[in-house]
Amino acid sequence: MNGRRIAALMSKELREMRSNPAAILPVVLLIAVCLVLPFFVAIVLPAMTGESLSSDRTIAEVLAYAQARLPGLDALPPESAAQAFLFQQFLFLFLVAPIVGAVSLAAYAVVGEKQGRTLEPLLTTPLTTAELLVSKVLAAFLPALAIEFFGLALYVALTVSVAAPGVARTLVSGRSLILVALLGPLASLAALQLTIAISSRVNDPRSAQQIAVLLVLPLVLMLVGQVAGAFVITSSMLLAVCAGLAIVWILLVFFSVALFDRESILTRWK
Amino acid sequence: MITVERVTRRFGSRTAVDDVSFDVKAGEVFGLLGPNGAGKTTTLRMLGGLIPPTSGTVRIDGQPFTRATSHALRERVGFLTETPGLWDQLTVEENLLVYARLFSVKDPRSAVRSILETFELRDRRADRVALLSKGMKQKLAIARALVHTPRVVLLDEPTANLDPQTARTVRDLLRTLRDAGRAIVVSTHNLDEIERVADRVALVSGRLIAIGEPAVLRREVFGHRLRVRVGASREGTPAFVRAAEGAGAHDVRADDGLLSMSVDGANGSTPAIVRALVEAGADIFEVADDAPSLEDVYLRLLETGRPEGLRYSSKEYPGAAR
Repeated sequence: MNGRRIAALMSKELREMRSNPAAILPVVLLIAVCLVLPFFVAIVLPAMTGESLSSDRTIAEVLAYAQARLPGLDALPPESAAQAFLFQQFLFLFLVAPIVGAVSLAAYAVVGEKQGRTLEPLLTTPLTTAELLVSKVLAAFLPALAIEFFGLALYVALTVSVAAPGVARTLVSGRSLILVALLGPLASLAALQLTIAISSRVNDPRSAQQIAVLLVLPLVLMLVGQVAGAFVITSSMLLAVCAGLAIVWILLVFFSVALFDRESILTRWK
Repeated sequence: MITVERVTRRFGSRTAVDDVSFDVKAGEVFGLLGPNGAGKTTTLRMLGGLIPPTSGTVRIDGQPFTRATSHALRERVGFLTETPGLWDQLTVEENLLVYARLFSVKDPRSAVRSILETFELRDRRADRVALLSKGMKQKLAIARALVHTPRVVLLDEPTANLDPQTARTVRDLLRTLRDAGRAIVVSTHNLDEIERVADRVALVSGRLIAIGEPAVLRREVFGHRLRVRVGASREGTPAFVRAAEGAGAHDVRADDGLLSMSVDGANGSTPAIVRALVEAGADIFEVADDAPSLEDVYLRLLETGRPEGLRYSSKEYPGAAR
């Protein structure tokens, strides 16, 4: 793979994005929701109803189960521990947001080139299929990741200033690092690679988008399962999921290259 | 520089290109002519390594296009596709810059500056492509195909949408590229244009119908013809026709003081014909070669297929010799 060619095509994608900022609006909106929702649930709602989180029987039961498995919770007073538990779980939302947003960019990546009749000239260059597809994935992945990290920084900063003392410290842990720096990016890469693979075979970006967004479901299930107290995902479990995702992503790279049929695209696509 | 050997391309049961062979040398402009659906674009795509032939071989500088070589060989080819296919949201300069980098041009910015100058696009370099006219887009697409100074240039309808002035610029550019030793293949419907720039043309309609220099094709298809303008005389015209035929002309046609006739050899019988006409009482105002247009040649060949005796041999062009 030629890094310069990948960089050249990525620069084109990013320039197009710059000239059409509305394209990244879904990611920005989702991150904004991810920022607002945890504070509404953990701080605003209890203040409005006058009932503390720790007095809720369900939360107390889940917390008792989680305290033994998640680091830092047992050292906090009950209300702070409940807040810390919720803020940790809502980190999962930050993994889902870039996937949903970036998938909308990636879904258009190959179909858009087909629709704009710009794919054939691109295929006359020495660009290989793998380079083409990796450029498309990275061009959707990197901006989404940057927005995600920016949102996370805001999340931690807001937690420091708004949540109970000691809550923010529980967010800065090895588990959170695995979630944010490994699981999130790997899940995004796998979802984007799948989107690009589908995008090269369909005529409508919505088809690619709808199928690829299904990859969000396991992450949502992880969030819901934990909040409901069905299970707690520990760091070692997260690492295993990350390894699985890395393998899935690599397989998807090969799969998408095999699926990208230059000849059919040139001769049959209308 | 380009060698096409017995290339056939099928799409399912349909044969788009059937056993076509030709070559294009360095410093040559080669015209690919044919009606819609004749396989011109498919042929160009095979020459550019975009699609493989079903059978046969395409070589660039002696190297065949294969799965292993196609990426490297594409670096030597500049391809103007049927539609300009430019990124509308990017500027003129950005479009060129991306392609210069994709082709690993050493100094992409300087290459882009140079091609912008050549195509007189410098003033529009910061404009978004969406704002350009169709003609400007076509001009930019040609510039894009040449930004990496390719050794082989493939142009599909290069002057479509261009105004006469820009079309002339493109023709001049083709001549400059030819003088610089590039091998150029132009597919077009514009016969007048191809006649002005092409050193050789190939007429295809699925298979190769004819190939050669335009003047040679003309002669082979229509023979050598002479045009004689005489003083208008309705009464005398039949006598003039008889006189010309008596002096060795064939297929003599008369139209309002203009005689057109087929003669043997380049100029051998011309003095005898002129003498015979003068003796028959004709006042001669003009004697000239009667060169049919390439369009006449094209239409005749499409109607009749390859006439006997066309100047290519089965050894040189096996596909055409069937």
